[in-house]
Amino acid sequence: MTANATLAAPDVEPPILEKIRASQRAARSSFRLRFIVVWVLILGALGAAIVATGNANPDFTIKWSTYILGGAGLTILISAVSIFLATIFAIIGALGRLSSNGFINGAASLYVSLVRGTPLLVQIYFVFFALPQMGIVLDLIPAGILALSFNYGAYMTEIFRAGIQAVPRGQREAAEALGMPEGQVMRRIVLPQAVRIVVPAIGNDFVSMIKDSSLVSVVGLQEMLWRASTVGRSNSQLIQALLIAALVYWALTIFFSYFQAKLEKRLAQSDVRL
Amino acid sequence: MDKRSMVRLLAVVTVAGLLFGACSSSGGSAKPSGAAGAGDPNDLLAKIKAAGVIKVGTDPAYPPQSELKSDGTFEGFDIDTANEIGKRLGVKVQFETPDFAVVEAGKWAGRFDISVGSVTITQVRLANLDFTAPYYFTPAQMTATKASGITSLDGLAGKTVCVGAATTYFQWIEGTLKLGDGSPLAPVPAGMKSITQKTDQECALSVKSGRKDFDGWLSSSTTVAAGIAGGAPMVVVGDPVFYEPLAVATDKSGPPHAELQAALDKIIKDMHADGTLSASSKKWFDGKDYSTK
Repeated sequence: MTANATLAAPDVEPPILEKIRASQRAARSSFRLRFIVVWVLILGALGAAIVATGNANPDFTIKWSTYILGGAGLTILISAVSIFLATIFAIIGALGRLSSNGFINGAASLYVSLVRGTPLLVQIYFVFFALPQMGIVLDLIPAGILALSFNYGAYMTEIFRAGIQAVPRGQREAAEALGMPEGQVMRRIVLPQAVRIVVPAIGNDFVSMIKDSSLVSVVGLQEMLWRASTVGRSNSQLIQALLIAALVYWALTIFFSYFQAKLEKRLAQSDVRL
Repeated sequence: MDKRSMVRLLAVVTVAGLLFGACSSSGGSAKPSGAAGAGDPNDLLAKIKAAGVIKVGTDPAYPPQSELKSDGTFEGFDIDTANEIGKRLGVKVQFETPDFAVVEAGKWAGRFDISVGSVTITQVRLANLDFTAPYYFTPAQMTATKASGITSLDGLAGKTVCVGAATTYFQWIEGTLKLGDGSPLAPVPAGMKSITQKTDQECALSVKSGRKDFDGWLSSSTTVAAGIAGGAPMVVVGDPVFYEPLAVATDKSGPPHAELQAALDKIIKDMHADGTLSASSKKWFDGKDYSTK
């Protein structure tokens, strides 16, 4: 009968669909190929320039790579603890900035303005030198962590504030309609959704913190940059040593960015359109 | 925010504050010097002996005075001197690595006890640091870049010379250097200007990589020799412009340390007398004995 004859069997696709899929595949792989080619070309050119200027010394690399790499542990430790504390500072700061209490809002705003408005290096020197003069003497590592987390907390305060404000108003209104007090609204409805929004930013800051942690080398912490610059200076191979450190920082960044991408994907599961 | 949330917020802040309080060590605030009786328990010496370890500041970027080994420990003339001091005091030595500017400024807040880092005694530094008698002397040697073609000290008149930040070499060019033992200084060639880098070695690196920011480099003769051997295209010009007395430093604003100072002075004097410093100098400085002027 005519009605049956016009129905195609369910597992045979119209040829046009196959052509569309094939051309999409070709576009994707040519995109990937060009992406990789450009990386290889530019890195190759940089590498050739480095070798040509005599900054690639295999003996030096073999002798000192392990020592420089050994600083990566301290770098990661400082960064991880600092980002954790910075998140705490940021949540407190963000709630303070959103508060209707004049004292709390004023204090939080001053924190953000002052700490974002002065260089991180200055803050590190301050924690290391000025605090002891006021009687607070911290060991090297806690001092470095305090300076870094206090600084990043100010920047992340603004991110958290924006994240909290980005949670749809309807959520808060629904919670209040259910009779939840303010604290519960924050804790059970708003903050969990805000966290999902700010996770990419925190991941970004962690990656950035890994490099900024190198600033604490000025007060003598033997993390990776200190090791590289000390070894480089005493062997007249400063550029070489710094390049080794730079490569390790880059590897760490790639490593943690990969996990950040996975985390974002996992958190965005609820947004997938079925 | 309602009252309960505020209380919770306060609790979090207090806990955070307490955590930091627990982490911090007690402050090294200056106390007025007590009477320096034998075995004064308040003196830094007694505290060091009680702890069994002396914390020594060093900068391991200056071979042959102080340099890193590939396992992360240090070696050098200063390191050997510090280890010998620790041995004669009967305590272990623990090395810390503050930047030189940190050492020079004093107010170490107890982060380390002494600095055995080839620090020159100058009038300005005596305001912040206490020094022992010198344990050795180095000549300050001027060099010129090969590109400039200068071969004498006077040839650098009116030229720019690179020096490490906060060093005596910088102070000599600026005319503010007064050596603690009153040693004479050669006159600075007229119109000589200085340019600073974070450390002495960065001057050598600058010339080696082809920058033309300056025509000369002034540093200690050992650092200069290491720089030239490391490939910087520079030549030594002229006689040393001064001989600097290098000593062990303690923090003036630290805890009372009159006994520590006396003990260190005695140790240094003994090390001169029994030839330890002389032998060590010959070992590290290519057979040269810098332990006497």
